Amino acid sequence: MAYQLYRNTTLGNSLQESLDELIQTQQITPQLALQVLLQFDKAINTALANRVRNRVNFRGSLNTYRFCDNVWTFVLNDVEFREVTELVKVDKVKIVACDGKSDSSCSAADVLLCFCASALFFF
Amino acid sequence: EEKNNNHIFKKFKKNPHTMGAMTPGMPLFSPMMPYGSGLTPQPVQNTNSLSILEEQQRQQQAQQQQQQAQQQAQQASSGTSGQTPQLFHSQAVGGSTTTALPGNTPLFTTPLTPMTPITPATPSSETSGIVPQLQYVSHLIPPTPIFVVFSCCKLDLKTIALRARNAEYNPKRFAAVIMRIREPRTTALIFSSGKMVCTGAKSEEQSRLAARKYARVVQKLGFPAKFLDFKIQNMVGSCDVKFPIRLEGLVLTHQQFSSYEPELFPGLIYRMIKPRIVLLIFVSGKVVLTGAKVRGEIYDAFENIYPILKGFRKTT
Repeated sequence: MAYQLYRNTTLGNSLQESLDELIQTQQITPQLALQVLLQFDKAINTALANRVRNRVNFRGSLNTYRFCDNVWTFVLNDVEFREVTELVKVDKVKIVACDGKSDSSCSAADVLLCFCASALFFF
Repeated sequence: EEKNNNHIFKKFKKNPHTMGAMTPGMPLFSPMMPYGSGLTPQPVQNTNSLSILEEQQRQQQAQQQQQQAQQQAQQASSGTSGQTPQLFHSQAVGGSTTTALPGNTPLFTTPLTPMTPITPATPSSETSGIVPQLQYVSHLIPPTPIFVVFSCCKLDLKTIALRARNAEYNPKRFAAVIMRIREPRTTALIFSSGKMVCTGAKSEEQSRLAARKYARVVQKLGFPAKFLDFKIQNMVGSCDVKFPIRLEGLVLTHQQFSSYEPELFPGLIYRMIKPRIVLLIFVSGKVVLTGAKVRGEIYDAFENIYPILKGFRKTT
């Protein structure tokens, strides 16, 4: 069962809106719409995991953090997203992060994030 | 201070009316000054209470006074000779300057507040004078207290973790919410029983304040939390004796109190009986003291250990 994390993205939201329209006009059943969304979850997860190769660095100051149900939520301020080609600056960014390996009880990434959150929060 | 005044006054009385060296027209800092010292003092001109006052002021703000005196002296050079040399800094006569060392006495009589460098009670240091006192104990870093608070009611940790900012909750790893605040910079562990542990504050007051802030956060989330039963469980202090220490020697003579396993941990663990404090003593001369319930215990423990450490000072 893949993360439903990506449903609230531009792509995921457009899909949901289109599906709602189709349901309104009785062209598909809600059950079918749900299946479509589940398939979307699987597809987007595998696509991001396997077909994306580029790397972006980002740096900003940590405003708040939260860790609950194995999900990290960060709010950063004055962030610079840096890719080889370009630089994007933003005032505020919210990051929602789920565990990379879904079957490990406490992955290394998890531990690293805990430590970083506490360190960054104070400084 | 009064005693000092009289003491200096008497010395001034030696030469009540000599104007020889200092006529108004004479430059202030002439090499003919009989009592030269680094402070560019002026010899005693007149013995009056005003000079004494000036002496006291000079002790505290020597440079400032001299600059003012320079200006005023030029103005007063045309004045009458009877004018008291309030502009000229009176100086204790002769070699007595060093013993008076007025500049140091205020330090000695400063009341010892918990935050200031600790004054040693050990008698052996008295002989060398006051200056070493400042050197050997650099600031005893104020103890950091760990607070326990009972905030009264059962808490739903998941709700707290989801709604509060800066919280972590991983029940698989630890059954408490770990929350942090920036002012005072502290971390709190909040348990579902309503108990809370607050650590990282730099003083008892800050610790209490921080604990209250956490309780307020929980309150705002809708739980009927009250701030009860706060109690300092542990205080940690650290300091530097500024000389290296022979830990092997210390463990040999104090083996009933010390444990030193350099392959396990580079510090010697000294368990003092009275007060009941654990000290971590390192070769560099740095000492960590922990286990205190009150601030005084840390200071007492340090007073006790310092002469022992001096005995094991490394001389190479």
